[in-house]
Amino acid sequence: MLIVEDEAPLRTALVDYLRQDGYVCDTGATYEQAFEKVKLYQYDCVLLDLTLPDGNGLDIVRTLKADGSAAGVLILSARDALDDKILGLELGADDYLAKPFHLSELNARVKAIIRRRQFQGQRQLLFRDLTIFPDQALVLVHNQPLTLTRKEYELLLYLLANPGRVLTKESIAEHLWGDVADTADSFDFIYSHLKNLRKKLQEKGADNYIQTIYGLGYKLNVS
Amino acid sequence: MKLLTATNRYYLGLSVGLFVLCGLLFYEGLQRALRHEVDEQLLNQQAFILRKAKLSGTASVLPFAEPPRIYRTRPPKLGFSDTLLLDVLDQALVPHRQLAFAVPEPTGTRWVTLRKSLLETEDILELVVAVLGLMLALLLLGVVGLNRWLAGRLWAPFRHTLVALRHYDLAQHQPLRLPNSSIAEFAELNQALTQMSARLEADYQTLKEFTENAAHETQTPLAIMQAKLEQLMQLPASADPAAAPLLGDLYGATLRLSRLHQGLTLLSKIENRQFPGAVPIRLDQLLTEKLHHLRDFTEAKELQVTLALPSVPTLHLHPALADSLVGNLLQNAVRHNLRGGELRVTLTAEALEVLNSGPALPSGNHPEQFFERFRKLRNTSDSPGLGLSIVQQICAYYSFGLSYQVTSEPVRHVVRVRF
Repeated sequence: MLIVEDEAPLRTALVDYLRQDGYVCDTGATYEQAFEKVKLYQYDCVLLDLTLPDGNGLDIVRTLKADGSAAGVLILSARDALDDKILGLELGADDYLAKPFHLSELNARVKAIIRRRQFQGQRQLLFRDLTIFPDQALVLVHNQPLTLTRKEYELLLYLLANPGRVLTKESIAEHLWGDVADTADSFDFIYSHLKNLRKKLQEKGADNYIQTIYGLGYKLNVS
Repeated sequence: MKLLTATNRYYLGLSVGLFVLCGLLFYEGLQRALRHEVDEQLLNQQAFILRKAKLSGTASVLPFAEPPRIYRTRPPKLGFSDTLLLDVLDQALVPHRQLAFAVPEPTGTRWVTLRKSLLETEDILELVVAVLGLMLALLLLGVVGLNRWLAGRLWAPFRHTLVALRHYDLAQHQPLRLPNSSIAEFAELNQALTQMSARLEADYQTLKEFTENAAHETQTPLAIMQAKLEQLMQLPASADPAAAPLLGDLYGATLRLSRLHQGLTLLSKIENRQFPGAVPIRLDQLLTEKLHHLRDFTEAKELQVTLALPSVPTLHLHPALADSLVGNLLQNAVRHNLRGGELRVTLTAEALEVLNSGPALPSGNHPEQFFERFRKLRNTSDSPGLGLSIVQQICAYYSFGLSYQVTSEPVRHVVRVRF
């Protein structure tokens, strides 16, 4: 994976977070470095900041697509730059994330991109006693199907994308409701959705692996 | 009032005033001269009669146009006087000048009265005044006509300048092009305007760059703070019950700051008119979609949501601004709504109306104040208080009318956007 970001602290945060998930990360701080690396190596995924000191990140997307690269592209850019977003996606980027973003959200998006690339959609997620087929929105507990509401399902997928990590209430709210997350006290909704999710999982005999971290958020326990 | 009308009004006022004054003086002078002439004629006749009487010893009736009358008694007044005499032919009183004097005769004094009609002098006077009036009328017409013609001709460059200014749009980055004028004042005006537009353009550019840089420069540290805090949370030490709430609050505050920053950046971008390009927007679809996104929140508050779309306007808007306009209006109506309240959205070809139940305003509070930045009913509210300011800016950007009304019994907040 290649991470192109000119701000060193942000770059290291991205690298640290993604390395913990077992990704092999390469970095580029400038347009020139990024250009050289995408020309030399094959990546599964490229995280691309659009505002680089010596060029526009969109040109890297053009280069990748011109070379017929199989790498998935996730664009990172300042919010409100709607034109950048549209142009980036038109050029063939897979996804777009506005700064500032939640690392957990970024992680979920990266996972989605890589899975789509690697299994061409034929994929299933395994976590302890859970099996999930994201394409059919099907969740199995001990091979028994589990009925979830849409938000509960989205919540479960988000937790599964970041196992063993603390997910803040804010990032969950934004993941589930996007821009309108701050319309009301969405933290209460998360709490009730989580309560229902836990209950449904326990009814099917699953372990209680969704842990509440006091004052911060929730965490999916790996073991 | 047009400049031409204003100057004409002054010209006309002055001219009429002067003409009336001069006319009166002229009339008076002329009348005096004519009367003097009549008096002289009467004096001549008197001298003639007196000379004749000295020779013949008697006052005789001489064949003047109006023969002298000779009386034996003394008339009431000697010397010159004015009188009205009946003209038998015209059956009208005619003004006359008369001169009465004594003629000594050996048999005693005779009294002679000489008269002369003033009718002829009045005719002359009338003619002179008529000619004068005609001159006045012609002169005034001439002045007004000339002014009108000059206004059309001399002010043409001014009107060109006005048209150019009216069509000038700073956001289009086209320099203000003004035609050269041979009139020094207009040339100077055009030059000043061109310089001003160049300065505006430069200032605008600087401001725009500043906004963009500020947005980028502030957003980056915020992004770093957010990422580092999230990393910090993953450390085992963060699970400490003493540390976790601190970390959580810090994280929440960072997010709030960054939301506030996004709102302000958006506001200044709209103010700088940095959203050129508009596409046809289906506002009905946008409303349906946004209400769908908000369903969790409306259901949680048990709101009665009605969306009425009697007719759909055809609007050309920037997609991001349309999204922000609708999103902010609806979010606002949900956020400040009461549990079990009402939310009614009505879209017609002329207006978009969002009605919601909510808290009553303390008396003296004007609802339009919520369009001001950071204005909230309760200062403890978590939202930065920019939503309606953004709505207002977007409406100003597209010249939409915007109003906020609060009705009592029942309390309903109504925000109306007129296209």
